[in-house]
Amino acid sequence: MSDNDYSLASIGDLSEDEIFDLLRKWRESNERKSREINKIWTCRPDVVIENRPNEKYLIYEQIILATLDCNNSLGAIMVINTLDKQFPRSLRVMRYKAMVLESDGRYEDALQVLDEIIKVDETNAPARKRRVAVMKAQGLIGDAIKELVDYLKKYSADMEAWQELSELYLQIGEYSRAVYCVEELLLHQPHSHLLHQRVADIRYTMGGVENLELAKSYYCQALKLNANNMRALLGLILVTNNLLGHYKPTGCSKRKEAWKLSRWAQSEVTKKQREMRGADDNALTNMMLSLSISE
Amino acid sequence: MAELLLDPKIRLWVFLPIVVITFLVGIVRHYVSIILSSQKKIELLQVQDSQVMIRARLLRENGKYLPRQSFAMRRHWFNNEDTGYFKVQKRTSNAQNPMTDPGMMTDMLKGNVTNVLPMIVIGGWINWMFSGFLTTKVPFPLTLRFKPMLQRGVELAYLDASWVSSASWYFLNVFGLRTIYALVLGENNAADQSKMMQEQMSGAAMAMPPDPKAAFKAQWEALEITEHRWALANVENDLLIKND
Repeated sequence: MSDNDYSLASIGDLSEDEIFDLLRKWRESNERKSREINKIWTCRPDVVIENRPNEKYLIYEQIILATLDCNNSLGAIMVINTLDKQFPRSLRVMRYKAMVLESDGRYEDALQVLDEIIKVDETNAPARKRRVAVMKAQGLIGDAIKELVDYLKKYSADMEAWQELSELYLQIGEYSRAVYCVEELLLHQPHSHLLHQRVADIRYTMGGVENLELAKSYYCQALKLNANNMRALLGLILVTNNLLGHYKPTGCSKRKEAWKLSRWAQSEVTKKQREMRGADDNALTNMMLSLSISE
Repeated sequence: MAELLLDPKIRLWVFLPIVVITFLVGIVRHYVSIILSSQKKIELLQVQDSQVMIRARLLRENGKYLPRQSFAMRRHWFNNEDTGYFKVQKRTSNAQNPMTDPGMMTDMLKGNVTNVLPMIVIGGWINWMFSGFLTTKVPFPLTLRFKPMLQRGVELAYLDASWVSSASWYFLNVFGLRTIYALVLGENNAADQSKMMQEQMSGAAMAMPPDPKAAFKAQWEALEITEHRWALANVENDLLIKND
């Protein structure tokens, strides 16, 4: 275990400064760590957040999210009351109140609060996104998608929203729309191998020669960007094998190329596997052999 | 030449007061501007337009990573003659006289009240109150060119250029206290006058809201001439060659 990987048990032994450092680190690296933060909040009453005037409100927000994640809405309400006293009528605090309602399952009330926020400030993007979350929590995927599409019409450069939309579309099996969303992400981060791999995954799932060929290209791009992307490598094998079945066996150049790629990917996998666990364990090799196609 | 000797009282009654006054005025300005500042209301339509522009720019830059069909689909959405976003959305050109916009007027007034007014008042007062003193000497020789900068208010032809007059000392403080303000008030404070002056010089054009109509047209044109070049056309071969 590395030294930045604190277990839940060790939180009781940390000094006050260490706890604040830890909270700051999680904040800056966008780690949720809800269980840990909730534990700090409930088990360490000796840590006085008021002593840190510069970051106390950020810490309070962190704690609200963590306590809500851990179904500790009483804790969240306590913190929100502190914030409410400091910032009466703040829209940001109102949003947290809506989240408490949401975690208690009072979705209608939560939507009402969020609507009030939007009425006051119609450019309040977080509140609009929260509405989508409320619908998703109720399992109303269709409504959530409609809401999110409405949101994206206005905030069409919001990458998190596009990602969420792609995942919602995947949930209901609308693959071509999901591809559109991931491609939008790709426009923003054209050098992320994970996004290329995601596009390829969805295209492969859609099937059809054209999509398979695109999937092949995207898997190759993912591998070009990161040679250690194992999922892309395995995906490439599946795609090329599938393509080989689609092409006519007579000397077609596409078929030759797919064959070459498939061979190459298989040798790569074997190499990686040897590196990982030595040559003696060949269960996976046998599995790969069964996947491969003999010419 | 005999070395000039300054009265120690100058240090106590001119040199230090100027530092303290400039510093405190900066602090006061910071808080006054916080009180006066109004949160800018953003129009939903403005947000939408700017985000669409970002998307159009990204499509031009990174569109090569999308298959031809996906690229064409997006361009169609932006540029189609009948239904394209850039064609359908009619924005009124609001590049008229900013004087007609009352919100802009108040903003300008507030900017003047917090920035220009104290600068004139305090600067004039310091010039009048402490005029004609030499306050300090920079510890290195300087050429004659620096005389108008460092010896404002003391026009002596034969005085060594490294002496600093009271008025110039005030200006040096105005520009030099930035880091101290950052230390005391934190980053992005409103006390820093030099930043304001830079903005006035360079930002006259930028303060104007961009005209969406013209910007749309520019994006439309740029997108229209963008050719789709599939970046992944040779990726399979690249991969094989690289690993051969």
